Amino acid sequence: MPTFSERVRTAAGQYTLQVALGRATGQLGAQRAAAFSSLDHSDLIRDGARAVKMTLLRDLGRHLSRFEERLIANGVHVHWAETADAANQIIVDIATRRHAKRILKAKSMASEETHLNDALEQAGFQVVETDLGEYIVQLGGDRPSHIIAPIIHLTREKVAELMHRELQVPYSDDPQTLARYAREKLRGEFLQGDIGVTGANFGIIEDGSICIVTNEGNGRMVTTLPPVHVVLMGIEKLVPTLADLDLFLKILARSATGQKLTAYTTLVRGPRRAGDECGAEEMHVVLLDNGRSRILAGETAEILGCIRCGACLNICPIYRSIGGHAYGDTYQGPIGAVVTPGLKGLRDWKELPFASTLCGACQEVCPVRLEIPRMLLSLRRAAVQETATSPQLKFAIKVFARIASRPRVYRVVTRMVRAIMRRRATQGWVTEAPGLAAGWTKVRDLKAPAAVTFQEIWRRRSKT
Amino acid sequence: MNGARARILAKLRSAQLTARLPVADSPHDRPEPARGSTQECIDRFRAELTALGVDCYLEGSAEGLRRRVVTLVDGRRILSWDPDLLPYGLGSLVGSATLGQNVRERQAEAEVGLTGCDAAIAETGSLVLLSGKGKSRAISLLPPLHVAVVQPKGFCFSMGEFFQTHAEDVAASASCTFVTGPSRTADIELTLTLGVHGPGKVIVLIGPDD
Repeated sequence: MPTFSERVRTAAGQYTLQVALGRATGQLGAQRAAAFSSLDHSDLIRDGARAVKMTLLRDLGRHLSRFEERLIANGVHVHWAETADAANQIIVDIATRRHAKRILKAKSMASEETHLNDALEQAGFQVVETDLGEYIVQLGGDRPSHIIAPIIHLTREKVAELMHRELQVPYSDDPQTLARYAREKLRGEFLQGDIGVTGANFGIIEDGSICIVTNEGNGRMVTTLPPVHVVLMGIEKLVPTLADLDLFLKILARSATGQKLTAYTTLVRGPRRAGDECGAEEMHVVLLDNGRSRILAGETAEILGCIRCGACLNICPIYRSIGGHAYGDTYQGPIGAVVTPGLKGLRDWKELPFASTLCGACQEVCPVRLEIPRMLLSLRRAAVQETATSPQLKFAIKVFARIASRPRVYRVVTRMVRAIMRRRATQGWVTEAPGLAAGWTKVRDLKAPAAVTFQEIWRRRSKT
Repeated sequence: MNGARARILAKLRSAQLTARLPVADSPHDRPEPARGSTQECIDRFRAELTALGVDCYLEGSAEGLRRRVVTLVDGRRILSWDPDLLPYGLGSLVGSATLGQNVRERQAEAEVGLTGCDAAIAETGSLVLLSGKGKSRAISLLPPLHVAVVQPKGFCFSMGEFFQTHAEDVAASASCTFVTGPSRTADIELTLTLGVHGPGKVIVLIGPDD
């Protein structure tokens, strides 16, 4: 994979990406703001939701055991997976035992995280993504670039070319027509699916049900039509009661798309019962750790309260400039910058916590008020501690300390630096700074220092 | 597999000792679920449906409601709840030949899905459908048009109220779905498109008290 700065450079250079990102994130952000203005007691509800998650995380193990009991009582098979590979293997084994051919998937971040599609395809199964955006991602061999809007980076013309090429349908760049192509193609798949795989937006402990929210209806199809339903969910996605779920449903869709509720909110409580004409005969829940217990042990534990609404992506000035792919993994934006180093280890993901202006907009829009800037800072601290500081930088800091602690020397030196910088500047900007400052001007210009300093003005005025 | 369970739980137990989590206030002061009179529910429900692009008819009599259904179905192939479960004598309208078959292909051919509903949520304009005998989940999902009949006694103002008052019904079914408007997507350039997988059109009929 290209380095972080290479990925950023690629993204920053794509004009259509910049346009698409600006439009889409702006619209989603505005819809979110409008939706919250219609919610009574929104502060109380957000505080309540935050308290529910934080209380849950403080005793996650016990809550998981209770959830497991209720699932088993509902006739669900429960599996535990420490790693992504273990989770994939569990699902491959289920598919093998059921002699499955075709596996249908509703949108699931957990399965993106484990690369479940690759694992199933390598084992010889056919995998079909059924969310429109994910289906287009799959057709194009692409990766999703936004938690809730997977193809936010594609223009309609790109989608049109792709469908025309891959599905041999007449070219059209009308979104209605493109969606109809997908409906017609996928309807056949739904009727022949052997296994449905979904994630879970919430697992409700008190009754062992799985809550899935979708707008297209593919989540309902996948849980209703195939004879087997497999849920792959992170161990943190629990809420204690249906009354708690009500709080979260009030804020999830509003934060994500600006809707009061998504078109379909489904609670599945085990396999079909006597008299039911549809619904899976066999249901499995795979509880995935894959680094979550390690996150819980540290400074960023509260990130496990994230409900994956994507509001922090839409508001983030960095995400809006570089898009999702530059973050390099499943989760993007501010939330990705905290989650990815947590799940995969900081060593290979040190740049991500620095991809933020620390402006705090993410924390402000977060429906559960996660302290994202605080967590980014603590990851930065850890990243710096892990990295050896170069001898040049150490020397430079020592010299600066000497100068800065002697006012007269400081004044002389800054006057010299000012003169040098002003001579290098063109139209008020320095484009190539000398020495250590060259790092700064490699990616941006530096404002030329003022001709007269504040202190000089002050002194002159005091005299008159 | 049991090994994985024990190891994950052990990791969580030790993680909980060092986790940096805010001492959040206990969630006692959350707002009570909103409630309202039947008339308030109907008014709000209709306003929400209009905003969602759902046609809504308020029928003063069972007979008028049956006539409306006949007009809407207009001779098309329908899939419906078991006749005994449909309110306002609608069961007499749907011939046995068109009833929910357990053959997926048959279900897929239907043009209209006709259901009652187990409750309706005014605040969000949602229909609540619980699975059960004679109430196949496919009926409100596969056909391109979903016609749902709501009885005034079925209204709850908010989802919170529904969970409080219908806990037993919810626990008794394998699936509980809140349908809020037609199937939709905005995946392509955030352009709203209806009916991508589920019904692209939903029509709601509110009947009289019975």
